[in-house]
Amino acid sequence: MKKITRLAAAIWVSSAALFAGMEPAALFIKNATIVPVVGEKIENGSILVRDGKIQAVGKDLQAPAEAKVIDASGLFVYPGFIDSYSHFGLAEIGAIPSTTDYREMGKENPELRVAWAINPHSVHFGTGRVTGTTTALVAPAGGTFPGISALIKMDGWTFPEMAVKEVATSFINFPMTPRPPREGVAAQKEAAEEVTSKLVEKIRDYLKEARRYLELKRLAASDPSVKPPETNAKYEALGPVLEGNLPVIISVEKAKDIELAIKFVQEEKLKAIFRGCAQGYKVAEKIKEAGIPVIIDSLYVGPSEPEDGYDAPYRNVVELAKAGVLISFSSGDDPAQGKDLPYHAAKAVAFGLPHDEALRALTINPAKIFGVDNRLGSIEKGKDADLIIATGDPLDIRTEVKQLIINGRTIDMSNWWETLYQKFKGRPEK
Amino acid sequence: MKPRSFVKAICAVAFFMGLFNLPLSAENSILLKNGRIITVSGGTISGGDILIQGTKIAKVGKDLSGPAGTQVIDLNGRWVMPGIIDSHSHIALEGDVNEMGDLITAEVDCRDVINPNDINIFYALTGGVTSIHTMHGSANPIGGKGIVLKLRWGKSARELIFEGAPLTSKWALGENPKQSNASGMGRARYPKTRMGVEMAIRDQFEKAKDYQKQWAEYERKARAARDSKGKIAPPLPPKKDFRLETIADILSGKLWVRCHAYQSEEMLSIMRLCREYGVKLVCFEHGLEGYRITNELVEYGVAVSTFADSWAYKWEAYNTMPHAAALCAKRGVLVALNSDDAERMRHLFNEAAKTVRFGGVSEDEAIRMLTINPAKILGIDQWVGTIEPGKDADLTVFSQHPLDSFTVCEMTLVDGTIYFDRARYLEERKKAEDEEKKKQKEPEKKKGGEV
Repeated sequence: MKKITRLAAAIWVSSAALFAGMEPAALFIKNATIVPVVGEKIENGSILVRDGKIQAVGKDLQAPAEAKVIDASGLFVYPGFIDSYSHFGLAEIGAIPSTTDYREMGKENPELRVAWAINPHSVHFGTGRVTGTTTALVAPAGGTFPGISALIKMDGWTFPEMAVKEVATSFINFPMTPRPPREGVAAQKEAAEEVTSKLVEKIRDYLKEARRYLELKRLAASDPSVKPPETNAKYEALGPVLEGNLPVIISVEKAKDIELAIKFVQEEKLKAIFRGCAQGYKVAEKIKEAGIPVIIDSLYVGPSEPEDGYDAPYRNVVELAKAGVLISFSSGDDPAQGKDLPYHAAKAVAFGLPHDEALRALTINPAKIFGVDNRLGSIEKGKDADLIIATGDPLDIRTEVKQLIINGRTIDMSNWWETLYQKFKGRPEK
Repeated sequence: MKPRSFVKAICAVAFFMGLFNLPLSAENSILLKNGRIITVSGGTISGGDILIQGTKIAKVGKDLSGPAGTQVIDLNGRWVMPGIIDSHSHIALEGDVNEMGDLITAEVDCRDVINPNDINIFYALTGGVTSIHTMHGSANPIGGKGIVLKLRWGKSARELIFEGAPLTSKWALGENPKQSNASGMGRARYPKTRMGVEMAIRDQFEKAKDYQKQWAEYERKARAARDSKGKIAPPLPPKKDFRLETIADILSGKLWVRCHAYQSEEMLSIMRLCREYGVKLVCFEHGLEGYRITNELVEYGVAVSTFADSWAYKWEAYNTMPHAAALCAKRGVLVALNSDDAERMRHLFNEAAKTVRFGGVSEDEAIRMLTINPAKILGIDQWVGTIEPGKDADLTVFSQHPLDSFTVCEMTLVDGTIYFDRARYLEERKKAEDEEKKKQKEPEKKKGGEV
């Protein structure tokens, strides 16, 4: 049986290689300006890739005879970007429910895994890649506990081939205090805040139940006189979260709620990542002190409250970074706009985020946040060969990504858009 | 109210309204010096000056000077372009502007619901937008009337109206009037097909023609009665019908037709229908598949007001690409890039850069899609859309080239009045925030004193 499986796997791999243009064992990129993110920029440098990994980076490398050579004269090489929150592979056309799979009904679904539903051939992988995204966190949404995300490469024939982490993070959508009513109606404001606190208590009660269940199970395992509880997949799924082994992404926006969320995380002893934090800049020091990283949402967004000022979304990123919070960018809720990922980073740079920090927030920062910085996030020896070869700064909208490399494979850069463009460019003009 | 919250309230309201940028007087002359001026009509002038007198651009060139008392603003090499014109938006209107209560709602008018207090007007100014076409929704084959506004933030509803701009009529084809993606009561309404949508429009044309005939007949009889000097009794007028009157205005070309459409086949059909009735279609809204029928669009002479890259949110928006605007423009279609969204409106210059990247139009052409092209589509190009003497002083200043991804809009003028000045905004904000911090510390001090 094992042999047959292996044989099947071999055939499969070779057919994959056929489609990918028979990848040679080694790839050599030369004459490039390399921005490794970790380490200094290298002018006129080379990168040797073997078996999907970066084997060498430097100035005076020689191309092995068997290597496929890419001459990157005049081009720039960056590590592939990591999109820290997306629905890639779970949604095709927003308005058509039969094509969307990221939002389950009900409030508590901590056991659901996007790994079970990701379509590796979604059109949005091809279009999402055009600006340099090589890895994405694919998230479920909706309710209080939406489920479990996966960290995947933006290329592969099947989900297992794509997966970097099949189980990447859990999620909690933190309650949001409604916009405070007009000043002077203090009672209303307090009432709104009380509602939020009660909702947090509800989440805590749920976690308490899960803890009780897990404890009972442990007891029953060692003591036959204790009746084990009926299996509960939801509580089971929360186990690693409560033990602090599985990070949990907590969506939270308002300053007051962020403070509540920090307290919640500390009391529950969770390994937390915040997402959103529209008013994070107001409590940046506190977030930093708590050591919680922040995933920035789409920056094509207005201020969460007009009082924050028109530039609040960008200022927020600048202030969070200044306070030393580990930040990363994401493309947000619509995989059709996934390609905008570096454009969000550019928006923050326009308003004062150092360019280097913006690059880190697309690469090494998310790699650290998701615990894969040993594999991803920079051009360093031993890391996955996920590379962007571009005509210039990939944060600039006008820059073209000429070639993406994922796991050492040169990726087909055509996509649905190119198909249409090539076809209709060919219609004769009258 | 506690004193602290009072201060907070004052600061909050002031920011929120952008009132620290209260318009400077337009009486004086303003000289913008040493900028890189993207004139749109006459290339880019490095180290150029613009002299504004009153509400108009007086001179554009080098080494200009103004009369005594001219306010001089040194641009220090920053970029100036004509104020951005958004030819498709729904801001500055009160409440919902999609009248779903009936299939045809041609008679309703956005002029009746202008909301001058919409904060999105200020946000738009912070993104260099100076004029907008704000419109009825797309639930109806023939929906309500739209209007062009100038973003004179802080002025009354009436003062926002762009004087001289033609009124528009909003039509819609495809999924929205079919209510394909609607829930609730909308689902049961006719039509459910693109055939039905087109028929609904044709029906109105026929009804309006009959209506016009009735009135012509009435007027003939009334004239006869007048001429008979009392021998013939005067006729009773037909019942006034605001809806059919509006459709009649469409037939006579008084209203400029803006037709929401996605798929190429529905665009071709509606062009044929309009030819048959002599109706002039000015522009397809969205027109995401317009790139497939550029020959026909050029031949008919209809423009396309579209997104740079918005797609795949519904089926009819699926068969397109971010190269679409560029492909249309390269083949001679008049293209404008619009927002259709309060937030997208404030980064339209970023959207234009996408059209350079995908489809490869020149940067100049991309800038035209934000300025003179929408001005032409809206019939306001005699006043705005380029930087030329005699035109309205609607300008916007950027820190870098407007298509550079790291650019920031720093100043926006409408009619020679500064409505947004980022430097001043930041200065005033800092003052207010320092004040707020001080106020927060004071009660603590007092407490300390009491102990």
